[in-house]
Amino acid sequence: MKKNLLFLLIMIIILAACKQSEQEFSFPEKPITVIVYTGPGGLIDITARKFVAIASKYTDATFVVENKPGSGGIVAMKRLLQLPADGYTIFACTKSNISKIVSSGGEAYIDAINWAAMLMADPECVIVNKQNKVNSWPNLLADARKKNGKQLWVGPANGGLDHVTALKIWEKAGIEARWIPFKSGGKALAALLGEQGVAYVGNPRDVLGNDNLKIAAVSSEKRLSPFPQAPTFAELGIEGMDNEYMWRGFVYKKGTPVKIRAWYDDLFHKVTNDPDWQNYWKQGAIDVTYKKSDEFTQIVHQDKEEFTHYLQKIGILSKEQDNFVSKLKNPVYQNLLLLISLLVFLIVTIVIKSSSFQGNIGSLLIPIFFIILSLIFFLLSFTFPSKEEVSSAVVPRLWIFLLIPLNIIVLIKNVKKEQVVKESSVSSKMVFKFMFLLILYLLGIYYLGYFISTFFFLPAGILMLGYRKYWSTLFISLGWLLFSYFIFYKLLFVPLPVGKLIEMLL
Amino acid sequence: MEILTNLLQGFSFVLGWQPLLFIVLGVIMGILAGAMPGLSPSMGVALLVPFTYAMSPTLALILLISIYISANYGGSITAVTINAPGTPSAVVTSFDGYELTKQNKPGMGLGVSLISSTVGGFIGTIILILFSVQLAKIAVKFHPAEYFALAVFGLTTVATLGGRNWLKAFIAAIFGLLINTIGIDPISGVSRFTFGSVNLYDGFSLIPALIGLFALSEVFKQIEEQNFKSKKIDLGKTRWPSFLEYWKLKFTILRSSILGTIIGIFPGAGATIAAFISYDVSKRTSKEPEKFGKGSLEGVASAEAANSSSVGGALVPLLTLGIPGSASTAVLIGALMIHDLTPGPQLFNNNPEIIYGIFASLLLANVVLLILGLFGSKLWVKVTVVPKKILYPMIFTVSIIGSFAVRYSFFDIIACLGFGIFGWLLRRNNYPVAPIVLGIVLGNIAETNFRRAVMMGGYKIFLARPVSLILLILAIISFGWPLLRNKLYNKKELSN
Repeated sequence: MKKNLLFLLIMIIILAACKQSEQEFSFPEKPITVIVYTGPGGLIDITARKFVAIASKYTDATFVVENKPGSGGIVAMKRLLQLPADGYTIFACTKSNISKIVSSGGEAYIDAINWAAMLMADPECVIVNKQNKVNSWPNLLADARKKNGKQLWVGPANGGLDHVTALKIWEKAGIEARWIPFKSGGKALAALLGEQGVAYVGNPRDVLGNDNLKIAAVSSEKRLSPFPQAPTFAELGIEGMDNEYMWRGFVYKKGTPVKIRAWYDDLFHKVTNDPDWQNYWKQGAIDVTYKKSDEFTQIVHQDKEEFTHYLQKIGILSKEQDNFVSKLKNPVYQNLLLLISLLVFLIVTIVIKSSSFQGNIGSLLIPIFFIILSLIFFLLSFTFPSKEEVSSAVVPRLWIFLLIPLNIIVLIKNVKKEQVVKESSVSSKMVFKFMFLLILYLLGIYYLGYFISTFFFLPAGILMLGYRKYWSTLFISLGWLLFSYFIFYKLLFVPLPVGKLIEMLL
Repeated sequence: MEILTNLLQGFSFVLGWQPLLFIVLGVIMGILAGAMPGLSPSMGVALLVPFTYAMSPTLALILLISIYISANYGGSITAVTINAPGTPSAVVTSFDGYELTKQNKPGMGLGVSLISSTVGGFIGTIILILFSVQLAKIAVKFHPAEYFALAVFGLTTVATLGGRNWLKAFIAAIFGLLINTIGIDPISGVSRFTFGSVNLYDGFSLIPALIGLFALSEVFKQIEEQNFKSKKIDLGKTRWPSFLEYWKLKFTILRSSILGTIIGIFPGAGATIAAFISYDVSKRTSKEPEKFGKGSLEGVASAEAANSSSVGGALVPLLTLGIPGSASTAVLIGALMIHDLTPGPQLFNNNPEIIYGIFASLLLANVVLLILGLFGSKLWVKVTVVPKKILYPMIFTVSIIGSFAVRYSFFDIIACLGFGIFGWLLRRNNYPVAPIVLGIVLGNIAETNFRRAVMMGGYKIFLARPVSLILLILAIISFGWPLLRNKLYNKKELSN
């Protein structure tokens, strides 16, 4: 009996071990995070969520979409590259990210990322307003020649894909026009509808839902099937404009194991061929394609070259020069300037403190702070390129030139003013103690997350302020944690900080 | 007549138990999100969007719109009770609302803010239903030069905000305008004053700055003054406004609602500017302007009516043109798109059930908001009797959640604390902090539109377009007059 049991046990262990080696590759074993670089609701967010929904047909893997908005994707890319290359984090990216990488000098990102799959491409197109007199490509050309560089085109941000496409179109068509950037494509479309400009560059999807909008020219080899009326650039006699498009795809960190890469290739392939996936995008006139890593990487490098060329042309990227101003462009020198100013400010503080003005110290230091800040900003404003009619420096300088004299007036007034009797410093000390506690709390949140550090902070804060009912303090703290968990985390879906150490443990 | 039948049709979509449940749920979530410093209406909506993907489009929109409309009211609760505006637009509500609480009359502030919010929301919706198509045509014609003039006009409210401290108020506003230029320049794409930090590429977010400047600096100030005694408010006897007191506000509410709706229509202007401008207009036209900032019911009413009615306005370009008029409606567009709906004029023809369902749920959400608010007010007012020693640490933890939720960034939490300490130092030296918020809100609109307008038509364009010319002249008058009056007043005081 015992022997049998032993035998059974050994068999089980051997079997388990066999299974282990058989299952050496079992991906994924935990949820996969899909990072989206905008807030919820944008096109890329929808792309990611639709992908997750379709992918669930083909795999049991759990996907979690995580929105990490900020700096046009740089924040999200940083996050991706901070995490290990284990395939558990993928990043939903667009061609706009390349423009951002180039303009922020982050070329290193391109080589640190494995450009896994490009899944869709929307051809770029020129959109006009039917009610405007200039409502077709030939009209647009004639009007541009007549206005001689003063024709207005509207669209989203400077240096983005749509702007660069417009620059290319002008180059190939031999015209000149002005790009008026708006906060978003939608706001630019409003301006086009209000006849504030004559053309808009974007994707074909933008004309959907509005009868007054019309595609004047599309950058594609053939006419698009949802828009049979819209001519291609080649038909209109403009060569070399048949392959400008916005792409979207998924990437992960370079160094991800081969087997995991193969797993993703398989999944991308299946999703691309899924009829639901294809139909959903077809309705929006978006071209579903599937370009694998090699081809995609090549495309990304071409995009990088192109953006670099055009961003230099419009002055967002500058070629290096060696003078004081170009030195100041270097963040190291900028931070040095900040440090020096801080030192100056501290010295001034000490001087005032030991002078006869110490009673007025606050009322003197605040205007001095504003003046120093203005001076720093003024110096830095020389580093901005000044190509346009109203350059980037104009408006900040306007505020600076108002801020400095006004603060000098305040300073003079306060120097003359009689000294106020010193306030009791006991209560100020309490504020500083409380601030110190807050800083500890912030550190706690950074490393241990919201829940653990709040559990310690709340009682500490309440007791520090002199509340002495210990049991109710404990109950209040626990009650608050439960409340914030259910109301903020569960009902309102606020993602509370988890903490670096806890993240590592998990 | 056609509108009426369509609207009745719309009501038939929302008068089931399920849609009604979603409206109630949405209003509750909206009030909570709004009341929470840091969760603005647009964020309340954005956080929920992913969870509506699985719902039917009508239900999803009903839920999101209920959140949107009630969050604008929710912001006033914390503004009135603890001077921590839950939403940017409730900053204006706090000017008088918190004063009322300090005078032991929190019920007055909460009552007026609820009624003005719901009436304002109603008026905004009615304007939306009746005139959206015509208004949208005007909205797209609004030229950058006119946006600039509107922003300048909004900035002149500093003169009213500052009172006798106008020089410091002016400095605070310009400081707000200057720090607003930090980040990627929206026109040229160059990075400005970022010191190489990725966190500053988008500049300082408004929400953490707002929480720091208002909520945290207030807590620091109270701790410094050792102001821990909860006022002995007998909640049973808290005074709520009488019908007569509401009735006296009818013109203020009506005017502010119309103003709020109109300002809301222009893409990018939004609830905060609407609240600031209509507060300013109310103060100038009031019979008791001296009461503003000291607990004026008109002040609370004009701010709340304006920010709630701006919701109706912001939906005009969204529904008629498919163009978002505010951050919240930009999120709604995403919600429409995930459900295969293309926002724009064709939506009226292709999916009338969506449009009229939205209209009906807007009206219903306001009614639900009124009912829940009337019950809730009895609850909100209790916040004022929570022992301060417990309340202050809690305000801080709430602020952390709020600033973090903006873009899930730890940097924003640090920025919030920084603004809190800075705001406390400023207030200690009699600098008002509200103008900083005004500067941050308006800076971007003023700058980008100024430069856009010059690119489009040179400097002369501001004078060449009648609307911008009129707005600029109004701005000069409205800026100069309070200063002049102050000067005269000071002289009089001296000679006395």
